[in-house]
Amino acid sequence: MARTLMRFTGVGGQGVLLAGEIFAAAKIKAGGHGLKTATYTSQVRGGPTVVDITLDDEEIFYPYANDGEIDFMLSVAQASYNLFKNGVSEGGTIVVEPNLVHPTDEDRKRWNIVEIPIITIAKDEIGNVITQSVVALAIANTFMKALDDELLRGVMLSKVPAKVHDVNNKAYDLGKKYALEAMAKLGM
Amino acid sequence: METRDIISTGNDLAAIAAVDAGCMFFGGYPITPSSEVMQTISDLLPKIGGVCIQMEDEIAGVAVAIGAGMAGHRTMTATSGPGISLKAENLGLAQMCEVPLVVVNVMRGGPSTGLPTRVSQGDVRQAKNPSHGDYRSITLCAGSLAECYTETVRAFNLADRFMQPVFVLLDETIGHMHGKAVVPTVEEVKKAIVPRKKFTGAPEEYRPYGVGADEPAVLNPMFEGYRYHYTGLHHDAKGFPTEEIETCRKLIQRLEDKVMMHTDELELNEEFMLDDMTGEEGEVLIIAYGSVSLAAKESIRHLRAAGIKAGLFRPLTLWPSPEKSIRKYTDMIKNVLCVELNIRQYTEEVERVSSRLDIQGLFKVNGRPISPHEIVSKVKEVF
Repeated sequence: MARTLMRFTGVGGQGVLLAGEIFAAAKIKAGGHGLKTATYTSQVRGGPTVVDITLDDEEIFYPYANDGEIDFMLSVAQASYNLFKNGVSEGGTIVVEPNLVHPTDEDRKRWNIVEIPIITIAKDEIGNVITQSVVALAIANTFMKALDDELLRGVMLSKVPAKVHDVNNKAYDLGKKYALEAMAKLGM
Repeated sequence: METRDIISTGNDLAAIAAVDAGCMFFGGYPITPSSEVMQTISDLLPKIGGVCIQMEDEIAGVAVAIGAGMAGHRTMTATSGPGISLKAENLGLAQMCEVPLVVVNVMRGGPSTGLPTRVSQGDVRQAKNPSHGDYRSITLCAGSLAECYTETVRAFNLADRFMQPVFVLLDETIGHMHGKAVVPTVEEVKKAIVPRKKFTGAPEEYRPYGVGADEPAVLNPMFEGYRYHYTGLHHDAKGFPTEEIETCRKLIQRLEDKVMMHTDELELNEEFMLDDMTGEEGEVLIIAYGSVSLAAKESIRHLRAAGIKAGLFRPLTLWPSPEKSIRKYTDMIKNVLCVELNIRQYTEEVERVSSRLDIQGLFKVNGRPISPHEIVSKVKEVF
């Protein structure tokens, strides 16, 4: 496997950090190398946050994604979308929450923009907005085919309390379902 | 050596390492980007009968940690640059009284409150001399997740060996990055601990500061029947203030010599892709430390793929600097580039040690990391 670079962006407090940790831990469990770095501002909540995830079979030294080399980005906040979109390679995939992020026409020509209402899914279909990070995790993995689904799900479940396993399983399933539908529509 | 895998962050690894190395006390005050060290150790210490206490400010945080050191415990505080500024006076006291203490500094942008959540290496010069007066700082610097663990363990062992504060420099990138660290097992760590020296003779013969010219004080834990005195003033063999000329001179000379005459026990470096260097034209030596060395290693992969023979020299002990090793490589290789997240703080040391004024530098002070591509471009531009 060549290096996979993913970027999750949002605002502080949305829980995008955990998704990155889960990805890195799952890749390590599979016998490879995974690193997560996060960048945030000194605002406690509401500041733009970015999480870079690097997965590789070879040892990874530099832990950040190089601008222009990111394969996949997921964004649930306009401010961070604007700040961090340029890291994505030409033709790369950017999944946005269409109620919160509005890409320009230019952006749509440059990248493969996919709209999935991540927060609405978490809030209305699952009934718990906190599960958005697990929805995002499943979407990213489905698009990138980065890791075995059951391995990733197992690591995710190991990081959340047992009493919320059901909702998080549901979040993972729904994220995967929406991603597959979007990919079918795009002929991916 | 038996090892185990831990998936964690640099800050958490420093906290875990402290407990594994026998730390029983943490005093501090939370500050970004070091707060997780305190958060994690506040969870771990009470479980083993240790104490973690959040004080009213940074100054009190280090003060209680020094107190625990005086009582004979392995003790630690963690902070960032602004916290070191506040702790400086008490760090000087610990140097003068020869109290062992580990100080983890997760560097962020400065001066003053700077850039709290961003990466920097701006405290390298500060770590050399945080307080006034003559003494020698021992400063270690982690360049990987695993080293956040191993350098913290090493710091505890060196603090007890040299009887003084030891700095562990992390930076925001290393402190917060999350991945796998392969580290020694707890048994291996415990096995390597050499307990602090103790005087076991008659209490009336005890002279804690009456030691050899290049030896650290022998401080028995307080409350065990051995009476002596702590003061920041120049002091005699029992720790009481004195202005006697020879005693004053010998004391400060000993603080210098107990470190500088034993630098071989302190030096630790990584030599990455330097074994095939011969001193031919076109070879490039990169000198970097901490998280910047990660970008440097990646840049060396790119440079080598482009036919440029580059390698990295990375000190893990920043102070005292590895003079002989720096000289060895700067004598051999003509093209030398220092890469730092500050302006020339270690480059000036490399210049001093190498007696060369043609050392090139790549510096960044805007709170953002230096990327491998920037290093590659700089090498191609200047050599």
